[in-house]
Amino acid sequence: MAREKFQTLTEPMFYILLSLREECCGADIMAQVSALTHGRVVLGPGTLYSLLDSFQQAGMIRETGVSGRKRSYLITDKGRETLGAGYRRLLALTEDYKACVGEEDPR
Amino acid sequence: MKQVKYQWNTLCLYDYRAVEEHLAAMAAKGWRLERAGSTLWKYRRTDPVNLRYAVTYNAGASPFNPGLTEGQESLAELCAAAGWEKVCDWFQMQIFSTEDPHAVPLETDEALRLQNIHRSMKKNFLPSNLVLLLISLWMSSSLVYSLVSGNLFRLFSSNAHLFSGSMFLLVTLLEIYTLFHYYRWRKRSRRSIEDGGTCVPINTRAYRRRNTGGLALAGALTAIYLTLEVLSGWTKMVLFYTLYLALLLLIMFLVRRTTAALRKWKASKGVNMAVTLAVDVALAFALMGGLVYATLHFDWFFDYGGAEETYEYRGRKWDASPREDLPLTLAELTGERYDHVSRRAADLGSFFLPRRSYSESALFHDGPKACHLSYDIYEPRFRRLYDATVEHFLEENTSSGPIPEVITSYLPEDPAPWGAEAAYRRQFNGTPLNTWLLCYPDRIVMVSPEDSPTEDQKALIAVHLGAET
Repeated sequence: MAREKFQTLTEPMFYILLSLREECCGADIMAQVSALTHGRVVLGPGTLYSLLDSFQQAGMIRETGVSGRKRSYLITDKGRETLGAGYRRLLALTEDYKACVGEEDPR
Repeated sequence: MKQVKYQWNTLCLYDYRAVEEHLAAMAAKGWRLERAGSTLWKYRRTDPVNLRYAVTYNAGASPFNPGLTEGQESLAELCAAAGWEKVCDWFQMQIFSTEDPHAVPLETDEALRLQNIHRSMKKNFLPSNLVLLLISLWMSSSLVYSLVSGNLFRLFSSNAHLFSGSMFLLVTLLEIYTLFHYYRWRKRSRRSIEDGGTCVPINTRAYRRRNTGGLALAGALTAIYLTLEVLSGWTKMVLFYTLYLALLLLIMFLVRRTTAALRKWKASKGVNMAVTLAVDVALAFALMGGLVYATLHFDWFFDYGGAEETYEYRGRKWDASPREDLPLTLAELTGERYDHVSRRAADLGSFFLPRRSYSESALFHDGPKACHLSYDIYEPRFRRLYDATVEHFLEENTSSGPIPEVITSYLPEDPAPWGAEAAYRRQFNGTPLNTWLLCYPDRIVMVSPEDSPTEDQKALIAVHLGAET
């Protein structure tokens, strides 16, 4: 179930896992995703909470510490594999695009 | 000027847009939500303010939890980091507000929002509505069976049966609509999200109209029922029903107080649920059972027509002043004089099928044997109900149980001596009993004298019971 669920990572999922290569808390993840994508990907706290919960249940991230109500997380090996698979999928998409269209911008 | 006000909430748990808009509108009017009860929402007066409200759902939240779960605290922390302040919970719904017009929305993934809502609905909304649907289906099945089978006698012989059946049928229809509404909304939302859209908006006005319409219909049914009871001579039924409703509300209040108190005392979720359930069952048993017991034991609300003053003789109670309003007395039927008499007369039927029930016991001189006479007069309001009532009595009745087989039936006999259109004698496993079913033009009489009546006595019964007296 969990494997199928994360077979294709959505943008928010991809960026959350990317942020968690280093230990950080929810607020840091929101800030990092926004900075990484220059505000293109907006991560609401409700959505972030649901995704962190699902990732944790799927064993893709683990909780590393609790300070008050603040919780920190870190990606696991399984999470890295999923992130890597997501990256390779994006590369494959890019390669396929280049093979068909070349380097030109579709706009 | 009052600082606090309570409002009855008619919003739907998964209609997050309506909740957000409603709360923002209330804040703009100077009323901020302070606590969201299951039905009553508490608002506190403030200066009118442009406040944004947003809600998200947490399936782990429950009114039985001793406090906020770790999940709820984590969520609140994340929301606080994004500029949202927790207001309160409404079941699994977590309500937040912010004055920042640029704060990031709580939910930025519609598919996740829908998943989350469904997970939360499975915790509370769906099971409770499903249980209510099953109960109301069961409770209304008797009425539905009567309607489907066309059994008019069963349908109209009791005001209470007709009322409770109609009420539960109404609840069944409302519950079917509620569940259908949710699943239709979920299906449409899923399709919309697959097409890149959002969860589809709910027609809040229609939903509220349905709720208030259902309540108005329930109120109208109650009013009709109580009017019918009064018209049928059961005036004290209004008092009984009022007391019944008051006790029901008291039970609901006490059960909620129990949950809140246990929550305050930090009892675990399991303990809270178990104790609340035990308190609910105990209160229902004690208060409702007590009311029914008192009603039957002390005749508080129902008049079974006995005499007010009685005396005891030969181990039985007799009337000090026997009532005189019986259409036919034992003395009139037998021509004898009785020294000790006990008489009862009561309205036992419904508005559509009035039934006046009479009975008399008497002791001839010094006894020892008492003799009896009882009869019931049914006056159906319309012809089809008259025919259905006769059919109901004539149906051969077989019952199985500890006694291998008991068959009660009615055999026709000559109606002429009874002055009736039709006459039938009751049989018990083929043995004739002293009970006759007599059909007169506008009434049906079931009479049970002590002995088989003579021709003169039959004629007397025709005169006294066969016509309006």
